[in-house]
Amino acid sequence: MTPREIPIYGIVAEFASPADLLEAARATKQAGYTRTDAYSPLPIEGLAGAVGGGHSKLPVLVFLGGLIGGASGYLLQYYTAVHSYPFNIGGRPLHSWPAFIPVTFECTILGAALTAIFGMLALNGLPMPYHPLFHVGRFARASRDKFFLCIEARDPIFDAARTRAFLETLSPTAVEEVPS
Amino acid sequence: MTEPQATTGQQVLAPGHSMASITDKVSAIVLTRPVGKRWLFGFTLGFILTCVLFTTIANLLVTGVGIWGLNAPVGWGFDIINFVWWIGIGHAGTLISAILLLLRQNWRTSINRFAEAMTLFAVSCAGLYPLLHMGRPWFFYWLMPIPNTMELWPQWRSPLIWDVFAVSTYASVSALFWYVGLIPDLATLRDRTTSRLGRMVYGVLAMGWRNSAKHWHQYETAYNLLAGLCTPLVVSVHTVVSFDFAVGVVPGWHATVFPPYFVAGAIFAGFAMVLILCIPIRAVYGLQDFITMKHLENMGKILLATCLMVSYGYAMEIFTAFYTANTYEEYLMHNRLHGPYATSYYALWFCNLIVPQVLWFKWARTNVWVLFIVSLAVSVGMWLERFVIIVLSLSRDFMPSMWGQYRGTPWDWSMYVGTIGLFITLLFLFLRFLPVISIFEMRTLLPEAKVGDHGEHS
Amino acid sequence: MASDGTTHGGTPAQQLSLINLLGAVLPIGLLAWAFAMNPPAALRSYLWAFCVVAAVPCGSLALLALQHLTGGAWGVTMRRPLEAAVRTLPLVALLFVPLALGAHILYPWANGSYTAPYPKSLYLNVPAFQLRAGVYFAVWIVLGTVLNYWSTRQDRENPPDFDRRFRLIAGPTLGLYGLTITFASIDWVMSLEPMWFSSIFGVLFGVGQILSAFVFAILMVLLFSDRPPLRGVIRAGHLRDYGSLLLAFVMIWMYLSISQFILIWSANLKEEAPYYVERSHGIWPIMAGLVVLAQFFTPFLVLLTRDGKRNARSLGWVAGMVLAARAAELYWFIAPARPVDHHTLLWSDLVALPALAGPWFLFFTWQLSRRPLLPLHVDPTPAEDHHG
Repeated sequence: MTPREIPIYGIVAEFASPADLLEAARATKQAGYTRTDAYSPLPIEGLAGAVGGGHSKLPVLVFLGGLIGGASGYLLQYYTAVHSYPFNIGGRPLHSWPAFIPVTFECTILGAALTAIFGMLALNGLPMPYHPLFHVGRFARASRDKFFLCIEARDPIFDAARTRAFLETLSPTAVEEVPS
Repeated sequence: MTEPQATTGQQVLAPGHSMASITDKVSAIVLTRPVGKRWLFGFTLGFILTCVLFTTIANLLVTGVGIWGLNAPVGWGFDIINFVWWIGIGHAGTLISAILLLLRQNWRTSINRFAEAMTLFAVSCAGLYPLLHMGRPWFFYWLMPIPNTMELWPQWRSPLIWDVFAVSTYASVSALFWYVGLIPDLATLRDRTTSRLGRMVYGVLAMGWRNSAKHWHQYETAYNLLAGLCTPLVVSVHTVVSFDFAVGVVPGWHATVFPPYFVAGAIFAGFAMVLILCIPIRAVYGLQDFITMKHLENMGKILLATCLMVSYGYAMEIFTAFYTANTYEEYLMHNRLHGPYATSYYALWFCNLIVPQVLWFKWARTNVWVLFIVSLAVSVGMWLERFVIIVLSLSRDFMPSMWGQYRGTPWDWSMYVGTIGLFITLLFLFLRFLPVISIFEMRTLLPEAKVGDHGEHS
Repeated sequence: MASDGTTHGGTPAQQLSLINLLGAVLPIGLLAWAFAMNPPAALRSYLWAFCVVAAVPCGSLALLALQHLTGGAWGVTMRRPLEAAVRTLPLVALLFVPLALGAHILYPWANGSYTAPYPKSLYLNVPAFQLRAGVYFAVWIVLGTVLNYWSTRQDRENPPDFDRRFRLIAGPTLGLYGLTITFASIDWVMSLEPMWFSSIFGVLFGVGQILSAFVFAILMVLLFSDRPPLRGVIRAGHLRDYGSLLLAFVMIWMYLSISQFILIWSANLKEEAPYYVERSHGIWPIMAGLVVLAQFFTPFLVLLTRDGKRNARSLGWVAGMVLAARAAELYWFIAPARPVDHHTLLWSDLVALPALAGPWFLFFTWQLSRRPLLPLHVDPTPAEDHHG
């Protein structure tokens, strides 16, 4: 197989409403396209599933992040108060577990919250200051009131002419090529 | 109740809006609206007061904490009062954005952004106090568990170190939560601004957000998880603040009801502040379509509910003094009612208990002036509550030979006024440079946004 | 579809009642014998069983008011079990009579083992105790009756804008419940150790009651969910709402419990610390651990997962476990208190709970069978299913 040169990133179609976009995305999936993405100014229920997303590992990661945060918070207090710097405070035992609860709790939350935020950014591949779609002038309206569906050129069944023709059948308001 | 989505959806967003009109209207405040006289006036006022704050801090660093009115029995004064006051105000922002999101209260959408900003600014003001109260703030890192040549570690049995962890976690998580909420709107601003500088700044801040459906999915998951984390966090923060007092055995401080009572007080004060800010902002920026009467009324209801919870706390304080039959607790109550600071105690009852009762009536909850005045009273009352808890208990605790008096010096007041100035300044900068209402969440309130199979996946 | 309930609702309830009737007679006889043998011990067992049983109707009153205030499908589907539980309040008042009459045997401040100092003695004395109990029950029964009466009227006439009317009384109901349950908890449980005082205890006790009532109502809904009129109405959306709320309630309960503990542990005062010192010997720490495991950690972990919340089976197990843990928690509150021998479990405990819970449940099922299992004119569909 010879490496095919990819002159374009993909073909993007513009739609007028969330309903149109969702319908188009489902039709695209049905047609066998796998390398697609949809763009909309608001989250749409079920849309990620139609473009091959929709499964997030984030909840598990966040749970683990919280666990690690809490465990390190507790161990930090245990190590410093019992081993590194044993000191009698008001006759309380060195291992004063009731007094260790608040800090452990805060560390749990911190660990989980940082995992949620940075995990989300990492899973989304952000920050990504450059993306081919930004070349398309009308794509700026993806953050205002227009809805886009992009079939990417790396899709196995992508063919510039046929894919374009296919997108035209989904009643878009415009279809454009995305330069790479 | 039978059709919650349909009915409240109309009430929380005036009819006739589209995705484009929402986007344009909110982003225009930032992008195209010229700097108005009123904005300039507010910002200047805030800026002048911030200069007062900086002058006070400079004097404080040069002279020392002696410029404050703190003395031998009253080692905590305005600094801790204002710390608790500010941090309490901050809590409403987190509650609006987190708890109301979890409860699927869509009326929160138009006020959450701005309430979260309020949280951040309030926490910044709050953080200044304990930092400066330390006397040598440049050694603040001693509070952190950092390995050091003195081989010392923090004292984990003290609520003050719990406070360090609670407040710093709270500040970091609410800043990040706020920023995550802003990302899609920053992308909107990036795409809509006409200035080159704006495109660069907003572009960098938006981190290349391109509204991808796959991203939205991760984003919503993260946002909901964060809301779930922020809710216990905000409760824990004010709980730890209450521990600062309740762990101590000073009369009037050691009450087990303090944690929930302080949390309720924080929500009470916080919602009052949201109303104080909301009412003028919606009028000045013409946001009545987005921040509707329904919002104001709901906040009035929350004020009333938290007022009753706070009243419960006051009632339990009085009952404790009576039931424990403890000399010191009894004297504390006597001192509150008849001592030198009795006026503050009565004023606190008037502001926090009596004035908000007007909110039982719908006409009062739907009148912006009444709401505004009640909110001002509550803000004053909650300040007085902390004054009563801190100063009255410390000035007369166990031994009469140790009793003393306390009053704030002009520097105490200038510091307080100065933090208000800092808050105003930050708020006006926020109004000018960031979308005051979450644009993408407002879009989801539109009827055409409701597609897809909600019942299956949510 | 909801009108089917009037005809079919009686059948399952009647089946339940028969088993109950048999189970209740024997424990009642044994409890009477225990009273004759050792009155203080029997009264202590009785107090525990009473608190376990009363938690459901009292908590139901608060939950009923809460669901009227907040609205939502979760409240509509559990409204009828809650209302039926609230209608058992007169029976609960009746069950309280032995405690009102036996207060001078049970409570240290009344039986001579502790003398309350002056202002406190105005509160802790037998007539005041009885009078206050009368006020609590009067308030609860009146509020419960009004809420129930309006609900029947809504079924019968469906007047417009009735939700508003419910909300109008629901707010004061919650407030009055908070106030009365605080003092009830002080009278009934906290004053068993008259030196001890914790101002959060009323909130802890009240939240515990709401938790009991909530898991009980979940169990009732799940029990009848495959029969009309609930069949086909209860969906994943409802279960998820129950699960989320239960998660919130167990977290609040844990928060209040741990706050009380941390504060009393840290201050280490001679009036307060004995409460936990007493409970740190023998079986009590193990019991505390089990309660925290069953009433917080397990529900928390199960309900944190999506499937844990939406699966009727796991939700049912969690609800049952919490209900059992609630009984254990109340036992932990009550049993270690002096002067009754506090390091042993009493055999009268084993009979007291069935003796009270049996007749109460019988009465409850009878009340439940008297009305349709769903309100007739309120939509029980979860909000997000409306546009699905």
